[in-house]
Amino acid sequence: MKRAAVLAGLGLLGICAGIVAQNQPPAAPPAQKAAAGSSMPEPNPSAPKASPMKPQTASALKQLQDLWHASRTPEDFRSVGHGFEALLKADPTDAEIRVRYADLLAERFNAADAESLYLEALKLDPNNADAYMGLAELYADGFDEHSAQAAKAALEIDPKRFHADEILGRMALEDSNYAKAAEMADAALKINPDAVEAIAIHATIELLNDKPADAWVSKIGNRGEGYADVAKELVINRRYEDGVAFYRKAIAANPQLWSAHSQLGVNLMRLGRNEEAQSELDLAYSNGYTDAATSNTLQLMETYKNYQTFTWPSASPDGPQPAGILKLDQKEAGALRPYFEAEMKKAMATYEKKYGYKMTKPVQVEVYRRENDFGVRVMGLPGVGLLGVTFNTVVAMDGPSSRSKQEGYHWASVLWHELSHVYTIAMTNERIPRWFTEGVAVHEESATIPDWGDRLNPTILAAIREKKLLPIADMDRGFVHPTYPDQVIVSYFQAGMICDYIVKRWGDAKLVDIIHAFAKTQSTVDVIREQLKIEPAAFDKDFLADLEARTGKAVAGFTEWTKELRELNTDVKDGKAPSDLVERARKLETIYPEYVEAGNPYVLAGDALLKAGDKAGAMAEYAKYSKIGGRNLETMEKYADLLASSGDKKAAIAALWRMIYCFPLDSGLHEKLGNLDLETAANADAVREFQVLVDLNPDDKAGSHYNLARAFKANGQTDKAREEAITALEAAPEYRPAQKLLLEVSGEDGKN
Amino acid sequence: MRRSSLLNTAAATLCLSGLCFSTARPAFGATYFLTVAGLGGEPDYEQRFEMLATDTDKMLREQPGSDKVVETLKGADATRAKLEAALGKIAAQAKPADAFVFMMIGHGTFDGSEYKFNLPGPDISAPELAVLLNRISASRQLIVDMTSASGGATDAFKKEGRVIITATKSGTEKNATVFSRFWVQALRDPAADTDKNNAVTALEAYKFAQAKTAAFFTDAKHLATEHSVVSDESHAGTFTLVRSGPAAAEVTDPAKQQLVAAKEQIENKIDALKFQKELMDPSDYRRQMTALLLQLAKTQEAIEK
Repeated sequence: MKRAAVLAGLGLLGICAGIVAQNQPPAAPPAQKAAAGSSMPEPNPSAPKASPMKPQTASALKQLQDLWHASRTPEDFRSVGHGFEALLKADPTDAEIRVRYADLLAERFNAADAESLYLEALKLDPNNADAYMGLAELYADGFDEHSAQAAKAALEIDPKRFHADEILGRMALEDSNYAKAAEMADAALKINPDAVEAIAIHATIELLNDKPADAWVSKIGNRGEGYADVAKELVINRRYEDGVAFYRKAIAANPQLWSAHSQLGVNLMRLGRNEEAQSELDLAYSNGYTDAATSNTLQLMETYKNYQTFTWPSASPDGPQPAGILKLDQKEAGALRPYFEAEMKKAMATYEKKYGYKMTKPVQVEVYRRENDFGVRVMGLPGVGLLGVTFNTVVAMDGPSSRSKQEGYHWASVLWHELSHVYTIAMTNERIPRWFTEGVAVHEESATIPDWGDRLNPTILAAIREKKLLPIADMDRGFVHPTYPDQVIVSYFQAGMICDYIVKRWGDAKLVDIIHAFAKTQSTVDVIREQLKIEPAAFDKDFLADLEARTGKAVAGFTEWTKELRELNTDVKDGKAPSDLVERARKLETIYPEYVEAGNPYVLAGDALLKAGDKAGAMAEYAKYSKIGGRNLETMEKYADLLASSGDKKAAIAALWRMIYCFPLDSGLHEKLGNLDLETAANADAVREFQVLVDLNPDDKAGSHYNLARAFKANGQTDKAREEAITALEAAPEYRPAQKLLLEVSGEDGKN
Repeated sequence: MRRSSLLNTAAATLCLSGLCFSTARPAFGATYFLTVAGLGGEPDYEQRFEMLATDTDKMLREQPGSDKVVETLKGADATRAKLEAALGKIAAQAKPADAFVFMMIGHGTFDGSEYKFNLPGPDISAPELAVLLNRISASRQLIVDMTSASGGATDAFKKEGRVIITATKSGTEKNATVFSRFWVQALRDPAADTDKNNAVTALEAYKFAQAKTAAFFTDAKHLATEHSVVSDESHAGTFTLVRSGPAAAEVTDPAKQQLVAAKEQIENKIDALKFQKELMDPSDYRRQMTALLLQLAKTQEAIEK
């Protein structure tokens, strides 16, 4: 999975504030909204015991709960919600009503209001174990570490709350801390030998370690939720096929477990099995399971008719057929296909050779034009803040038009990153740990072309300076249960740097050896020892020393660098042209050379030199900017123009090509490239560029078709040149250059 | 003689209805251009507005031909008094055969009932401007109000024969606009000349600027805060603003005059064919269009020989 500016982690939803499924019970009355866990009180043994519920309230509550359990449709649940509202009004000081209402809201996908009500209940009754349990469950679903605090609070009040032990066990399982997970599951089983989630935890531990799990699985019996618990953890560990199998078991045990139907649908869709996925999701939805993931996914599937699918066969007869599947929104398929397909083929060929592995199933890439569609595809929710996700052999990613131009979104890096996952997951039969597959994927982004991928950014520098990097043995934790807001992003980068270091010290082949080692379900510690012949602590020491050598100057000088860069930008912005601007800029380049974002010293120096007429100097600065990975289109076009006017048209083409990997939908870019291609007799390339330009449907139809005509003519495709000239003239009959071209290719220019 | 595809389409329509008439263009007089860059308020805007006005002034002055009068007010000169004086001068000089283009760059305000163009010193309201504009007797007028809230001025500016282009659809779109940047770009970018007749009309410039403005917001993933409007596409399509090539030389040779006449006939046929496109078999349409375009190209070659 490719990281984003925020969030990540498959399954890391957070509390779904603001995302409310349709037809839910009405929102709770205005309450003090609390950030997740931030205002959760501690139990207070000396607090007075809550007053017993009034008899009429208790009777009304029981009736409501009976209605709730009989509810089937969203309308039914709404009615129950109204009932709770009335009860709250009648008895505003009763914590229990709040807890039950919160339980309903949590069940009906309204986590934000449920949390508020649980916290309100705790204000009224600080020793309400049910409220703590509700919060523990909510937070655990959101992968929020406050879940542990809530679960422990519930246990402090009532040590027999075995489900709290189960929640703690679940969290340990998600941290890959199997020993702790087993310990907590056992604690739950001690209280209740039939605790289904505890049994599921044990079963999951065996399955994840490729050990026989039948004994534990059979204890689940006909309790569908137990199989669903196993399925959920398998999916979190990217064992989608196994997860699907267990969701099927859940449904077989309890055909009315609609949540399982929904999750089965979501996961079938992840594996590209859309027809069955739709059927499961429809079934869940029509039976009142209308959470955001189900609703949104069904809506997304409606839009699939607007996608075009392109395939190509395997080169060898025993390869999968097709080898590759590319799905693009029809609005931009024409423009994106040449580039996406070429990169997909290149990446697959590279990985096949590098990893020594041939795929046995087709590889599918889906490119989403709208970010929200991608989010729904991946998590059932929009706005997930990811760029790409891999589900075994299916990759879903943001398309270029789903991101703002200012971001300089490098779609090719994301594609190579995700395709690396396809191979490493397949090679290890889904056993590769999260951190390592991400590390290899990040490493691969720039292994082939160094200026791809992300660079050392201020967030990473801060993490290095504050010694927030994790020991290699704990790397998974940084992805699944981050302890600070940017930890996931930092973990991606660290994982990539670890793989860079392994390659640097032990070679490319060692990376592949490690991948294979993980296929044997070995732990990170064991693999490091076995493959690198080094203890993890020693590895950490050497790695950090290497990192210090690479980043020490930037880390140490960052504060001063920031101040000086800000001053430099202010000077330039105010219209001044300080005589020492270039000198100051170049000094900043040496402190933090990887910084090529807004206000970077390379562009400041380059622009100043250009303004002063020093073209060679400007080109040198832009060249540095480009080499490190700068992605500002305007700057790169300026650089390309300078290169072209200096006579180095091939370098100009290379500079512009770098931008195709960020802005493939920019008409001006394709026009420039096309013209340069013609000037350097790269006629087939010119045809591609101008064909894409036409597909982008620019306002200047006559011009774009005329350019394509020129390219066809140069490429010896006279008939096609004629057709394009006619199309150009249809838009602008008086267009003289197109008229001349038409006469030429029709043999009617009098020259033959 | 230059053709406008819109004019030809209209002519083709009327021809089909039996009301054929000459598509000869009336002789036009001079074109008066007045560009005003109003109060920026902040250094960034001041600089931007002045630069746009300067660029526009330069492009207009570089236009071939002497049949134009160009005046630009910017910076400290863009006062109400000087604007009134400039409009008064044009009112005194312009004749019905002339054309007049008034371009406003800067900020506008709208209080729910009245639009004002922000100037150094006292502002000027749309009704006040309209009084001054209505004294200008040029029969062909174009107002391009590129300010924020400019849509609020449309009603006041309305007049027979006057095309109004505003950067916003109403007075409530109050954010600083980007439309002006792209309008000015249209005057120099060959891509704006979509019918490739070496001239950019008001409609072409408008469509160019409109598309670029929309793309600006889409690229930034922001909701658009401005939506430009043109009051009369038909007349805007015949209002030439700038030319990128020399005006066609007058043809005096009788043989060439015949060719020119033939060329016009072919162009009429092309327009008529386009009009029927939806009703025709696609391959038949293509075949006929190809033949006509080839004929047109050969005729143009012969004219230029």
